[in-house]
Amino acid sequence: MMARISARFDPSRAFFARHRSLGILVGVSVLGILLPLITRIPPFDGIQSTNAWVNAFTTATIYAVLAIGLNVVVGFAGLLDLGYAAFFALGGYTYALVASPFSGLAFPFWPMLIAGAIVGAIFGVLLGAPTLRLRGDYLAIVTLGFGEIVPITLLNADKFTNGTNGLGGIDKPSIPGILQFTLTNPWPMYVLVLIIFALIAMIVFRLEDSRVGRTWDAIREDELAAESAGINTVIAKLQAFAVGAAIAGIIGVVNAAKITIVAPDQFRFIVSISTLAAVVLGGMGNTIGVATGAFVIYLFQSILLKQLNTLVSNFSIPILSEIDFLDFQYVLYGIVLVVMMLRRPQGIFPARRRKRTFDDQKRSA
Amino acid sequence: MSAAEATTTVPRSSAARLPLTIAAFLAATLFVLGLDQFINALTLGAIYALIALGYTMVYGIIELINFAHGDVYMASTFVAMFTIQTLLGRSGAIESIPELVIALVIVFAVTASLMGLAGVVIERFAYRPLRRAPRLAPLITAIGVSFIIQNIIQFAFGPTIVSVPQIIPISWSFMVGESRVPILNLFVVAAALILMAVLQLFIARTRTGRAMRTTAMDRDASALMGVDINRTIMLTFLIGSALAGAAGVVHVLYYGNTQFGLGFQSGLKAFTAAVLGGIGNTAGAALGGFLIAFVEVGASSFGYGRWGGGIVFTLLVIFLVFRPTGLLGSSTGDRA
Amino acid sequence: MKVFNKKGFAALAAVAILAAACGGSSTTGKTLTIGIGLPLNGSALASAGPARDGALLAIKEASIEGYTLVAKILDHAKEGAHNPDQAAADMLTFVGDETVVGVVGPFNSGSAFAQIPVSSEAGLLQCSPSNTNPNLTKDLPGAEISGSDLREGRAANYVRVATTDDLQGPAVADYAYSNGARNVYILDSTDAYGKGIADSFEAQFITAGGAVAGRDGLPVGTTDYSAVAAEAKSLGADAIFFGGVTSDGAPLFRKALDQAGVGALPFYGGDGIFDGTGEGSYIAISGAAAENSFASIAGSQNIPGKADFDTKFMAEFGVAAEGYAYAGYACAQILIEGIKAAVAAGDVTREAVRSAVVDKGAAFETVIGSVTFDSVGDTSQKYISLFKVENGTWVFADEVDYTGK
Repeated sequence: MMARISARFDPSRAFFARHRSLGILVGVSVLGILLPLITRIPPFDGIQSTNAWVNAFTTATIYAVLAIGLNVVVGFAGLLDLGYAAFFALGGYTYALVASPFSGLAFPFWPMLIAGAIVGAIFGVLLGAPTLRLRGDYLAIVTLGFGEIVPITLLNADKFTNGTNGLGGIDKPSIPGILQFTLTNPWPMYVLVLIIFALIAMIVFRLEDSRVGRTWDAIREDELAAESAGINTVIAKLQAFAVGAAIAGIIGVVNAAKITIVAPDQFRFIVSISTLAAVVLGGMGNTIGVATGAFVIYLFQSILLKQLNTLVSNFSIPILSEIDFLDFQYVLYGIVLVVMMLRRPQGIFPARRRKRTFDDQKRSA
Repeated sequence: MSAAEATTTVPRSSAARLPLTIAAFLAATLFVLGLDQFINALTLGAIYALIALGYTMVYGIIELINFAHGDVYMASTFVAMFTIQTLLGRSGAIESIPELVIALVIVFAVTASLMGLAGVVIERFAYRPLRRAPRLAPLITAIGVSFIIQNIIQFAFGPTIVSVPQIIPISWSFMVGESRVPILNLFVVAAALILMAVLQLFIARTRTGRAMRTTAMDRDASALMGVDINRTIMLTFLIGSALAGAAGVVHVLYYGNTQFGLGFQSGLKAFTAAVLGGIGNTAGAALGGFLIAFVEVGASSFGYGRWGGGIVFTLLVIFLVFRPTGLLGSSTGDRA
Repeated sequence: MKVFNKKGFAALAAVAILAAACGGSSTTGKTLTIGIGLPLNGSALASAGPARDGALLAIKEASIEGYTLVAKILDHAKEGAHNPDQAAADMLTFVGDETVVGVVGPFNSGSAFAQIPVSSEAGLLQCSPSNTNPNLTKDLPGAEISGSDLREGRAANYVRVATTDDLQGPAVADYAYSNGARNVYILDSTDAYGKGIADSFEAQFITAGGAVAGRDGLPVGTTDYSAVAAEAKSLGADAIFFGGVTSDGAPLFRKALDQAGVGALPFYGGDGIFDGTGEGSYIAISGAAAENSFASIAGSQNIPGKADFDTKFMAEFGVAAEGYAYAGYACAQILIEGIKAAVAAGDVTREAVRSAVVDKGAAFETVIGSVTFDSVGDTSQKYISLFKVENGTWVFADEVDYTGK
């Protein structure tokens, strides 16, 4: 049913399908301008200032990039990664270690974006190489273990990571002589994150349509068949792992520069799970879908639930004021995961290719 | 009898060596750790082992890492607390032995049966619809169920650590040399060993147990042979969750407190135990539980407690990567 | 949430708070806001809730001619604990609201590390009722991050009424030593607060002439403390120090010691275990095992206006004032005095308020006594009070004055 509707001819859709990169650029620019404008009209203007909104959008976009990266691993290659936050952490620490008072170094921000990607990819390959032969659910647990080990190590290797206090006072990006990023003006960071989002989305779209992308499809749908067709599945999976980890590494650098402090507790299991919830909600395999999922989940929990808390405690509504709505974010993740898997495993925005898979399943079930 | 033996998962040669190896291991750890820490490790191991059984049974039969199992265990600590405080109206130790025995029977019975029921409900509504779905689907659902259970408990009992009356008096103990051996610890270890022995017998000797084993080996063939697959899987969840319930009771008896968030860490460690022993293998899960406890207690007794969690998870990764069949081998063939 | 009487708070909040819910857009230019940024859900609420209520009470009582003073509360707790990311984001919200001229908060040092760079850049004054990490303000040799790193060299915009851990840990160490402890076992919660206070305790205890039997750390979420308890016992410790807060596991460790047969050993901790007797508190969870525990709290117990304040607080919220209610009230008093000074000078800007407090040099008369800030914002009050658990409640045991030391 869904397949038929979306397959209907639609000129604008056809244009953007052919010029996907252009579509992303236009889409990101339009949304990037529209979103701050919307916050100036009621009721949004009453919730928080435009600057705070822009800051929230920036963080939401960072999570959207994270979801795009995880989607390469989970959605494209079909490998469940439950420790994705570890790569996010490694990216952040990579930058923090060379641009904070802790080391006394002050490397410039821009090349560190590449360094973050490289560190992420290296660890992705290091973790992936011995483990990718494992079956899906075993791999999931190995990644979960890795996701626990990384923060524990960051916590206890105080000599190199400053342990539990984390690394603070991280340098903010600057364009020498033109622009110094500051904490109170969120706009430069907003634009930077949008640009990075657009670039990564474009690259991921290219990858999806490339030979590698089709290899991932083949592995995800039937690993045995893919192998018999001559695909080196281990190499292909490693590529997915490396790409996903590299994306987390890049955005980890950006995140560290944005909040100027990294500490082990920022990268716990809950980050991996909320990103996974975003991917499942948005539709595994659909880059724009998962990004939307992450964006919505972040805004929902950090704005809406928080606002509900303020509202009920301000208006003294009995019973309701006893409830902490922020606590609902976890039950929300839980419900998203369960309900989506049971009722709509393809997500709110199904991926083109996956749609067929899920339709097949329905028929055979 | 011979049929049961033929399907035993442990190869015979290692089965003969196993008790010896275990005895040697226990003697060595007793020597290294001293009696106090040895008892601590055994007690902690008993709890891990009881939880690990649920993971390994479910994995053995439907190849699902039941992520919510740790939270079933967590929930059971609250059921046990409710039973002790509200149903039995106890607020402290019970010094009279007959009263204590009755109270213990009630707490175990109520908690184990309620948690068994919870396990069946979770299986029916969250996992059964996905039995033919891609493998990752039920795993993701299980993570979701885990979060939901945590929140239900948090809403019901609050986010703080809560104290639970320890009905077995912690002062009951006897001395072995310099060391004080509490009856409470002995009770925990004995209760766990008895439950595990009963489980082993059940799986080896009963018709239902045989159905569980055959279903684990080949579901379709078992169905053809007249095994009611749905009922067998349901029973597996019932027993696994009831054992988690027993572990929860043991937890509150031993620690005298609980918190809504303890399921994740404990569950992950118990899962590691199941992997260490050879997932799908019930004897292995028990062995793995004790091993993990010895590793953790060992770390603490040498002043490296802060690395305990890291060591356990590193073991998990190493085993999954290099020896996914675990120490005793798994029950089904296509691991790795 | 169950820990605290929220009804009383809600009733007051409905009166006092305008900006947060009804929309900051309705500012008339005559409204001034004091932000309250604390972790207010989960297990964090038990300790930080009283600080919020103290601040609310002060704001309600204040009257500034020509202006309406309101409070704006933002809660940066996640998973029941303080969350630095959210704390930084909340500070940005305060910064973005032009009517906010001062902030009460944060509660935890970890959140302060994330907030000060933001508030410093905006020149927005904040007063913490409870932060004790010395590196938030001072430039200590060997510290990886220092106050001037956080401020990036700007003038101080952050003050606190609690004295620093570099005094609290040592005060407990000296007290434990004078109480007869010679061989202490130290456990910390591996986080910033717990490890920090345990480190400073350890250093001073050795200086005082004591020995450390053993030292280990177990993170929050640990359920089994039996092994470290047995370790403390086998090492022959004659006292225990726990660096961490109640929800990190202090009462679990205490109970495990009791079960290991060494429950009679004195158990020392910082302000992290000084959290009253309510649901989820150290005493409530430890039960009878809590006896013979000691905790420190930064600040004097000779609170001049205590009786008066207790009456007002009880009338307002229906619960007794405890813990950080006094400090929260004092912080708001200081901010209000700064605002009044700025109003009197006819220059109601953030900078004027900041300068009026930080550069004043003279004492503020607050509920906790007179407070003077040095150039980096640390309080002149260097009192550490020590409490002991007796018959299931905290009893004042001793007070140490480090002023001038």
